[in-house]
Amino acid sequence: MSSYRLTNLVLPISVVVASAVGLLVLAGTNPWDPLQLIVEGSIGWPPFEAGKSAKVGDTVMVWVPIALASAGLIVTFNAGMWNIGIEGQIIMGAIAAAFVAREVSAPRPLLVLLTILAGAVGGLLWGLLVGVLRTAGGVNEIFGGLGLDFVAISFTTYLIIDPWARTGVASTSGTDIFPDAALLPSSSGTRLSLLAIAIALLAIGGVWILFRGTLYGLKLKAVGANLRSSFLMGIPTNRYLLGAFMICGALAGIGGTVQATGFHFKLIPAISGGYGFLAILVVLLARYQAFWVIPISFFFAMIAVGSSQLDLRLDLNSALGGVLQGVLVLSAMFGLGWAAYRTKRQLQEASGGDSG
Amino acid sequence: MKSRKRWLSTLAVFLSFALVAAACGDDSETTTTLDGGTDTTATPSAGAPDDFQIGIILVGPEFDRGYSQAHFEGAQYAIEQLGLPEENLISLDFVNPGDNPGLTPEGVAADMISQGADLVIFNSDDMRDGALAAAEQNPDIPMIWVSGDSAWADGKAYEAELTNLGNVWGQMIFGKMIAGCAAALTTETGELAYLGPLTNDETRRLVNSAYLGAQYCWENFRGESADSLDFTVTYIGFWFEIPGVTLDATQVVNDFIDGGSDVVLSGIDTTQALVRTGQRADAGESLWAVPYDFVDACQEAPGICLGVPYFNWGPAYLDIAQSVIDGTYTADWNWIAPDWSDINAVDSSVVGYGKGDGLSTENAADLDTFIAGLGDGSIQLYRGPLNWQDGSQFLGDGEVATDFQIWYSEQCLEGVVGACSINVFG
Amino acid sequence: MGLELRNIHKHFGPVRANDGISITVETGTLHGLLGENGAGKSTLMKVLSGFHSADSGEIVLDGKKIKLASPDDAIEAGIGMLHQDPLVFLPFSVIDNFVLGSPGGWRLDRRQATAEMQELCDRYGFSFDPHTPSRLLTVGERQQLEIVRLLWLGARVLILDEPTTGISADQRAKLFAALKSLSKEGMSVIFVSHKLEEVADLCERVTVMKRGKVVGEADMPVPPERLVEMMFGQAVQIRDRKEVAHGKSRLTVDSVRMATGLLSEESTSLEVNAGEVIGLAGMEGSGQDTFLRICSGMRSLKQGSVTVAGKDLTGKHYRDFLAADVKYLPAGRLEEGLIEGLTITEHFVLSGEDRSFFIDWAQARNRAVEQVDHFAIKGTEASTVESLSGGNQQRLLLAMLPHELSVLLMEHPTRGLDIESADWVWEQLLARREDGTSIVFASADLDELLRYSDRILVFFSGRVIGELDASSTNVDEIGLLIGGRSANPELSEGSQ
Repeated sequence: MSSYRLTNLVLPISVVVASAVGLLVLAGTNPWDPLQLIVEGSIGWPPFEAGKSAKVGDTVMVWVPIALASAGLIVTFNAGMWNIGIEGQIIMGAIAAAFVAREVSAPRPLLVLLTILAGAVGGLLWGLLVGVLRTAGGVNEIFGGLGLDFVAISFTTYLIIDPWARTGVASTSGTDIFPDAALLPSSSGTRLSLLAIAIALLAIGGVWILFRGTLYGLKLKAVGANLRSSFLMGIPTNRYLLGAFMICGALAGIGGTVQATGFHFKLIPAISGGYGFLAILVVLLARYQAFWVIPISFFFAMIAVGSSQLDLRLDLNSALGGVLQGVLVLSAMFGLGWAAYRTKRQLQEASGGDSG
Repeated sequence: MKSRKRWLSTLAVFLSFALVAAACGDDSETTTTLDGGTDTTATPSAGAPDDFQIGIILVGPEFDRGYSQAHFEGAQYAIEQLGLPEENLISLDFVNPGDNPGLTPEGVAADMISQGADLVIFNSDDMRDGALAAAEQNPDIPMIWVSGDSAWADGKAYEAELTNLGNVWGQMIFGKMIAGCAAALTTETGELAYLGPLTNDETRRLVNSAYLGAQYCWENFRGESADSLDFTVTYIGFWFEIPGVTLDATQVVNDFIDGGSDVVLSGIDTTQALVRTGQRADAGESLWAVPYDFVDACQEAPGICLGVPYFNWGPAYLDIAQSVIDGTYTADWNWIAPDWSDINAVDSSVVGYGKGDGLSTENAADLDTFIAGLGDGSIQLYRGPLNWQDGSQFLGDGEVATDFQIWYSEQCLEGVVGACSINVFG
Repeated sequence: MGLELRNIHKHFGPVRANDGISITVETGTLHGLLGENGAGKSTLMKVLSGFHSADSGEIVLDGKKIKLASPDDAIEAGIGMLHQDPLVFLPFSVIDNFVLGSPGGWRLDRRQATAEMQELCDRYGFSFDPHTPSRLLTVGERQQLEIVRLLWLGARVLILDEPTTGISADQRAKLFAALKSLSKEGMSVIFVSHKLEEVADLCERVTVMKRGKVVGEADMPVPPERLVEMMFGQAVQIRDRKEVAHGKSRLTVDSVRMATGLLSEESTSLEVNAGEVIGLAGMEGSGQDTFLRICSGMRSLKQGSVTVAGKDLTGKHYRDFLAADVKYLPAGRLEEGLIEGLTITEHFVLSGEDRSFFIDWAQARNRAVEQVDHFAIKGTEASTVESLSGGNQQRLLLAMLPHELSVLLMEHPTRGLDIESADWVWEQLLARREDGTSIVFASADLDELLRYSDRILVFFSGRVIGELDASSTNVDEIGLLIGGRSANPELSEGSQ
């Protein structure tokens, strides 16, 4: 976290706040109301107020897959890979979990465990495929990943409108609801699953430890920073790249499981919720620091759940939530970039620059 | 049923109305609303209490010139007719997991109820699970799941315990029969084509209805022999074209026309059939098309448009809202027929047919005769003998289909050419 | 009259790429600019073509001082630069490429431009269809296109940066003919190269650069040995190193071929004994780099074999070479050795022997502190490698070498280092001999080669044309070989 010094935070945060306020004033409202509404609509106002547990549950369960995908992306980003295939990995995790949920009968704890494992394996294999295309086929991971995202989306649509079509009328609303035994255990009346939270926190902690204290993590970082030097040092670079994709895929796949068995309780066409792409933003904003993923992804989850209030209460177009999010991300990137530029400048001035 | 649309657009209007606060005691105050007190300028008429509010949850954009807009306008109509200010309509659009992955229909319903909604309408078949969950969580709030069959005691998916969740749907089968008739009256080649979305009971029902309408008018107005009319259907695989996943709708239309069809009926949510046919007609071919869903759909190529079967949700929503206000609401399954006295009556007919410029005056007169026949019951198209596409019997000689038989159309009818049970990856 | 560069300075941080350069190019001359890679030629040409602005100094064209803030300014002033890889927009047609850089911009008269291009092509003996997509052109044709384009834009000074790389002999002849006739018409041509023969063929005058400075100027013709001497410096032949007894054979290379093309059928063999130092001499790109990559397992063999300490490693993976204690240190320290963004401590962890899953950071830091101290690296254990100077980066790389080292392969061990660092590096390297390590290094510095090698292999055009005993050879002999001349006249014709 050393690189995320406080001074570097002040600038991006002020840019973000200024942009958000500016946007809301432009939209014809005072800036405080929408923000309060988003908070109220996602975690209640005052926060975590009693009686709002269903909302809090929704928000937390949106947070879990974003956080899991972000944790995974920290691994691939550190390995120097743009894992755009993360969406597909979430989706394939959800599909694998859905398969287990639909086809396997077992006592609940066992079945839940199996869906989670299946999700991890589904995502892992899909991630591995991106990695193999990259290392063995020379296909850039961005294009390979995009292609596989598309395949995964098509595959879900196919499953939902054909072999797994719900009984009665085929529809795009998804498969039948999974049997209770396959659903993530949650506190009554809400989606809130302590198990899911625990998994997400564990994943983030694990990734933090990976890059903080293990040789494997350091080697991944080396491979990401300079593939050629790493190779010359004797690091089996391809194996590490594949490893990064597998770790990321597995975490994303568990995120897919949570989406399927903990949020929608069925497989739907847009099962990933776009959380993979969102997680890319989270990780960029968090500057690959695992700890920062927790608050930043929670912030995105709050917007995802709470921004409908803008339309419901203020009669602002609900798309404003998305616009707001976009402006926040862009301005944060801008602020971060600016801060980074300044740091680099100072460094350069101090050391006299580098050779051309 | 009507599965409708997902995260993209669709068609019709929706409306909803209100529930008298009486049922719910102190719902009015609720959480802090930030829009400040609303000045009620309109005077309630029709006995609606001025705090009566309708919540409508739209799957697509409020102004999609299609399915969701039709529902939204229907709900606006109901609010207006009740003499209530527009603030009393609470709406949220884009409620689908693609656009708003963090939103659930039941969560939105809960928000609307906490804001004071006395009636909640879910406008899409896709909201099935959310609608059922919301109805269960709020047993005292009347709700409507549009296109569903959960309140149909004789249906396949009856939810007897959900006494607050009703269903409403329009009898579009008649709209499609009229469309089929207009096509048969106009065709010069005797070959009609139907651009289908995905295959399910609802879409097959509409294909069958169009086919029956076409067949009737071909024989009775054109005086041709029954088997000389070709009626082909191609399903693209989804409500709208997804590049790489579904068939290319424009290409399918080209294939129809190249194969000899000169009238293309659309069953998908987008207007490719009309647009593409219009382009080919501009190039000098004699072609016509029939779009679907939205009252103004012909505008994209008016000259070759034979008309459009459309939904008009206002009257249905007004009735439901009024019944909630009156305390007479019951959770029914309502499959509403057109107002046969005037199927295009804004205030009374849920299903209409807007004639297009491509329909000749002569054929328009025949079409009116046909509509009148449907209306007075003298023309009954779902009467046996009718066989399914696989040759098995659907209706015996003289047998008239029940709602159940029509609603759950398992196959296309004999005479319809093209597979009606495969999907995208068939 | 002509082009005059006066006291040009250009520094990149601590690196003095151009350190007070003054050159005069008379109008209508073909002026050669010679120098090894890294001598500062490219930087100078970039200054001259407006890509870089000089830190200080003046450029005077036909008696007028000009200021070049961008490539635009240079073209405006009449200075046209032909890059090594011609900047052609491949999907565009020839004519579109031709008009692309024209000033003004909004009005585009393709027909007139086509006619004017045709005329220029005819005059200089070029030919290509204006409407053909430029991706179909060969590199040579792209150069021709670029030349006529620069002429069309009114260039009075033409700079060519290594223009003969990758073009056929036929195209080279065409190019040279065109350049000669251009210079007769009054064009000043600056021809940047490290190929002696081409400069000898073409140029009327030559300037030699080394380490950012002009080290020699001469009117052609000049004997190649003299040019070599200017490029590589007059070596002070001192061999003050301690001799070490050579052990058993450590590295045996048998009948390998460096050239991939059809140029050379000859193969190279070499046997290196424990404690021996082999220097590889030659112009940049003559095959030394390939030879080192073959010895390190980085490049697979089409024929021949490589044996390390009696073990046949032919066709084995690079990591098998590593396991056999063969270590390769390429020239690009930050590109092919160190990892930007990582600290010194992290580098020691990566190269260290401790393979346990969790890293003991406290211990790793202590070790790094020790090493930083021991190898006199100016930096702390927490410094990132890019913040180190070149000399300290080289120190770090040496510090990261494993204790057990059978063969050490290096490119330019002291390039860019100050004298103190360079001496220190060799002290370390020579000390390694006592443990039996064999060293094979490539260098452009004759002094370094003569001083530290036991034997010197001279590479020319993808093959070894001489193997010399370092204690008995001299600069002239090496210079002659590097330039492709040897006692055997047949060999000297083998170039290109």
